[in-house]
Amino acid sequence: MTQPVTIIMVEDDEGHARLIERNIRRSGVNNEIVSFTTGTDAMRHLFGADGSGLVQKGNALLILLDLNLPDMTGIDILKQIKENKYLKASPVVVLTTTDDSQEIKRCYELGCNVYITKPVNYENFANAIRQLGLFFSVIQVPPAAT
Amino acid sequence: MTAEGQRRRAFWQILLFAAGLLVLTVISAGSVYLVNKAREDSKWVVHTIEAENQINALLLEIRRAESTARGYLLTQRSDFKADHDKAIAAIVPALDRLTRLIGDNPQQRKSIEKLSSVIETRLGQFAQEMDFIRQGQPEKAAGLVRELASADTTAAIAEVATGMLQEEERLFRLRTANSDRSQTLAASMTGIGSGLVVVLALISIWLVRRSTRERDAAEARLRDANLNLEAVVDERTADLREANDEIQRFAYIVSHDLRSPLVNIMGFTSELEELGGDIFRRIGSLAHAPADGAPLAPAAPGEIALEGADKQLHEDFSEALGFIKSSIAKMDRLISAILNLTREGRREFQPVKVDTRELIEAIVTTLAHQAAEAQAEIHVEPLPDLVSDRLALEQIFSNLIDNAIKYLKPGVPGEIRIRGRTKLGYAIFEVSDNGRGIDPKDHQRIFDLFRRAGTQDKPGQGIGLAHVRALVRRLGGTMSVSSELNTGSTFTITLPIAWNVSNRNRDR
Repeated sequence: MTQPVTIIMVEDDEGHARLIERNIRRSGVNNEIVSFTTGTDAMRHLFGADGSGLVQKGNALLILLDLNLPDMTGIDILKQIKENKYLKASPVVVLTTTDDSQEIKRCYELGCNVYITKPVNYENFANAIRQLGLFFSVIQVPPAAT
Repeated sequence: MTAEGQRRRAFWQILLFAAGLLVLTVISAGSVYLVNKAREDSKWVVHTIEAENQINALLLEIRRAESTARGYLLTQRSDFKADHDKAIAAIVPALDRLTRLIGDNPQQRKSIEKLSSVIETRLGQFAQEMDFIRQGQPEKAAGLVRELASADTTAAIAEVATGMLQEEERLFRLRTANSDRSQTLAASMTGIGSGLVVVLALISIWLVRRSTRERDAAEARLRDANLNLEAVVDERTADLREANDEIQRFAYIVSHDLRSPLVNIMGFTSELEELGGDIFRRIGSLAHAPADGAPLAPAAPGEIALEGADKQLHEDFSEALGFIKSSIAKMDRLISAILNLTREGRREFQPVKVDTRELIEAIVTTLAHQAAEAQAEIHVEPLPDLVSDRLALEQIFSNLIDNAIKYLKPGVPGEIRIRGRTKLGYAIFEVSDNGRGIDPKDHQRIFDLFRRAGTQDKPGQGIGLAHVRALVRRLGGTMSVSSELNTGSTFTITLPIAWNVSNRNRDR
């Protein structure tokens, strides 16, 4: 990546988070990865204490989002990111176990950029994440504020 | 209303009817009898009167004969003689008539015998008197008359006749009384009978009205019960549906949430495997290191040269990882199966007209390769068409035919037959084979999720038949199996010919 893009990972399962991180690193992506296990922590980091999103002004972010979180649904987070004037340009990758077609459709309607179902088979899983990492290494990400 | 009550009421109605009929019969018979009796009595009364008349007539003729004889004796005029002869001639027939009339009464017969003898004597005396007069000896005749008057034959006649009259009088009174009694009896019998009939009729009317009221009440109760039943059925159906939906949601969530940890287990097992490979390769290179300590070039990846205890360790490690991985894979398949089942359970069915034969022939075509491998022939007989969910039917029949091919007897050419017929708004399909069959004790078990029967030499999760039965039930049908070990199996599916959403998904 040309700019110092920070990858924000919202994933409640620490094991998944570790596997994802490991496979992204294996694809040669060395960007900072900040991971959160609850929606509340992630929201506080993304939108700041005042909830305006001003804290992220000027930062280039790429958000990896799980839908099944213990305290809120990933869809709510997605919706708020895409409605926030500072964050709406940041790419959001939904990476979740749900393969319900209604859910997928809803995510794209809300502005999600990529939707990936986590394969249960680890080989496929690792492969998918590595390809995602390759994708991250070429993607252009705008800074959060204009 | 109880059957006992109905029987009792019917019994009472029949009893009343019979009683009415009996009363009418008795009245009719009694009336006929009594009227006849009254007529008889009247006849006897008339008879008595006639007898009395006849006695009087006889006495009158005797008096006439007497008085004309006296007249003739005094005047010797021939017209008295003619009158006397006429009277004498009338006496005997009158006596005969009287004898005939009262022949029924023994007492009167005795009297009449006495009377006949007295009258005969008197007639003889008359004849003597007439003879004396004709011979021109009126004094002799007058003397005879005087003598006779003292002998009192006439008085004797009168006495007997009076006795007879009295007897007839007695009989008259008796018979009149009899006749009156018969008539009174007849009248009262008719009166009482009519009264009874009216009472019976009233009781009948009361009974009929009561039973009508009871029937109305029972009908009302039945109507209420029906309404109530419908409400109860609706309620239960809604409850069941809710419970079913709950289970579906539960299964979906559980299978989903089970997947998450499984990803971790699988992921880190793979990581561990790689790590293990690295460790053993390192051990291998260290073991082969020469004594002077100079490291050799690391072994090429993929080949690990180990010896003795190290080799054993590596094999144990690989074996353990292999078990873990195969178990995970199995668990993953099971979870996927549950997910698919719940997804199927949530799918809305669309009733469309299905050409069943065409549908099954399409399935047979897709399974042709497996069938050829198993040396199986599949015969599709004419089948009834349905209005049902096409995808569900496809899944049902492809599962059954797939099973039939899968579980044939090895080495025996398979013969699979699909038959169909209709009965009372239902289509009945049979999928039969000559395969290995199913032990009767497993007939229930094979429809349970994740359960299988017989030799486990074929791949499978034990889901097919559970899925098929769930689909058949959702389509408003039933399914059953009949099979013996080694003689083949027949799966029978009964489906409504015209399924529609409303009879199943009404409250959804």
